[in-house]
Amino acid sequence: MQEQYQPELGGLPEIRCRRCDLVMEPAETYFEYLDHGFHTKLLRCPKCGEVYIPEDLARGKMAEVEQNLEDK
Amino acid sequence: MMRKDMTYSVCPICLKRIPAERIHEGQKVQMVKICQEHGMFTAPLWRGNVSWGIWKGRIEPLREDECLQCGACTGLCPDHRRATCCTLLEVTGRCNRNCTFCFAGECEEADPPLEQVKAWIRDLTVPGETFLQLSGGEPTLREDLPEIVAFARECGCRYVQLNSNGVRLAEDVDYVRRLAEAGLSFVFLQFDGVSDDVYVRLRRGPMMQIKERAIENCGRYGLGVTLVPVVVPGVNTDQIGDILRYGISRSPVVRGVHFQPVSYFGRMPRMPRDEDRFTLDELIKEIAVQSGGLIAEENLAPSCCDHPMCGFHADFVVMPDGSLRPLTKRSTACCCHGSSLPEEDPARKNREFIGRRWSSGGGKKAEGVTAAENEPVMKTGEDGMPDLSDMDTFLSYGRTYGFTVTSMAFQDAGNLDFERMRQCSLHVYRDGKKIPFCANYLTPFPAENVNGGFRIMSMK
Repeated sequence: MQEQYQPELGGLPEIRCRRCDLVMEPAETYFEYLDHGFHTKLLRCPKCGEVYIPEDLARGKMAEVEQNLEDK
Repeated sequence: MMRKDMTYSVCPICLKRIPAERIHEGQKVQMVKICQEHGMFTAPLWRGNVSWGIWKGRIEPLREDECLQCGACTGLCPDHRRATCCTLLEVTGRCNRNCTFCFAGECEEADPPLEQVKAWIRDLTVPGETFLQLSGGEPTLREDLPEIVAFARECGCRYVQLNSNGVRLAEDVDYVRRLAEAGLSFVFLQFDGVSDDVYVRLRRGPMMQIKERAIENCGRYGLGVTLVPVVVPGVNTDQIGDILRYGISRSPVVRGVHFQPVSYFGRMPRMPRDEDRFTLDELIKEIAVQSGGLIAEENLAPSCCDHPMCGFHADFVVMPDGSLRPLTKRSTACCCHGSSLPEEDPARKNREFIGRRWSSGGGKKAEGVTAAENEPVMKTGEDGMPDLSDMDTFLSYGRTYGFTVTSMAFQDAGNLDFERMRQCSLHVYRDGKKIPFCANYLTPFPAENVNGGFRIMSMK
């Protein structure tokens, strides 16, 4: 997977889908955690729909969402 | 159908450890225990508004040799089941009120010197982890409290909480500023009701304006405030909904409400009778009823960190129209409930949860910060409400307008259960030792009215 930062993608890196070898595109992506639905902009393969979740998002905001919803 | 199970408690007169039975009749549960010297005692534990069995889950029964050291106030037992979530440190015994109820009771001793308090803090702090509650007496009677707060932060305390009646916080805004600048994290504010008659009965004087001003002053310097009502039958049980609505209306300065059903230790007006007790399941029911749909019973989940019969918690976001959006449900509970070997230390998890939620959302500890500057970044939906499905809005708005409803039901000499105490994570620091809160403040009931060695405390 090749990763280069592309200013025109709003700071998101250029990522190619390893299955389709197409450049992933920013798209509003929906997901669920503990019965709560969320959406945020992620890179997605225009052909197969696979999404790329950068590590800083997984360890940052997504982890914070999990923390907020998990029981203490 | 009646059934019973066994645990250990104390004689409320001599505090000797004795076996106790929990008698289950339908969904009602009461404790029955016999002291060879002082007779039989009973106390209601559960009044059947919620299923005892479902709420409690599976908890391993207490062994005869368990929790001996905790009960003797000689430190935590080697096999104590919880690490410390919150460490309580009394920095003074003095107080500026003379409340009808007070767990700390009477104390006219001089304050411990600052250097002594610093040595205690140095000893108790685990840098980056410790959640320190400064308590008393009334801690704000100390002029050097800001220095104590600053020292605790220097030592690495992760959160420093002030337990206060709010008098000084209302009257001395510069003192509030100094506390905030010293690094105080948040305030636990005694708040028993929304009308003066409650304060006249519990605190021997009107205090509503004091509470309002204290909250306002804390808000001015970005200090989150948690309202802490002691709930006493016949005094303020009918104000549970009003207290919640008041707290919500003061969001985001007010971060939540922490209910404490009355317990009888320290200073108490009389030996408790059956009707003087307000059980946890009664509180759960009254929150659902009196909140008028704001909070459902299923939003309240049993304590995971402490024993489930010791309290509950619920987590919400306050919406602009004053409604609450629940974040947790009882059905999604709990990582560790009933488990003896949880994967993550529940005390640490609990500490992070309450620390995060009770801190002021985005509040800056400097004068002149306008409310607008602290407003969260948010997208709105078609209904004009924050779009909480947008991840950035959820995080930003939730951080600012988070609201918790929690409870801690302390134990006294009448209803103490060592099965609960062995899981206590609220520890009082005293003379280099950590002692479970309810062991530290355990107070014998007065022996008058003990008739021929047989005293039925609260049986109906």
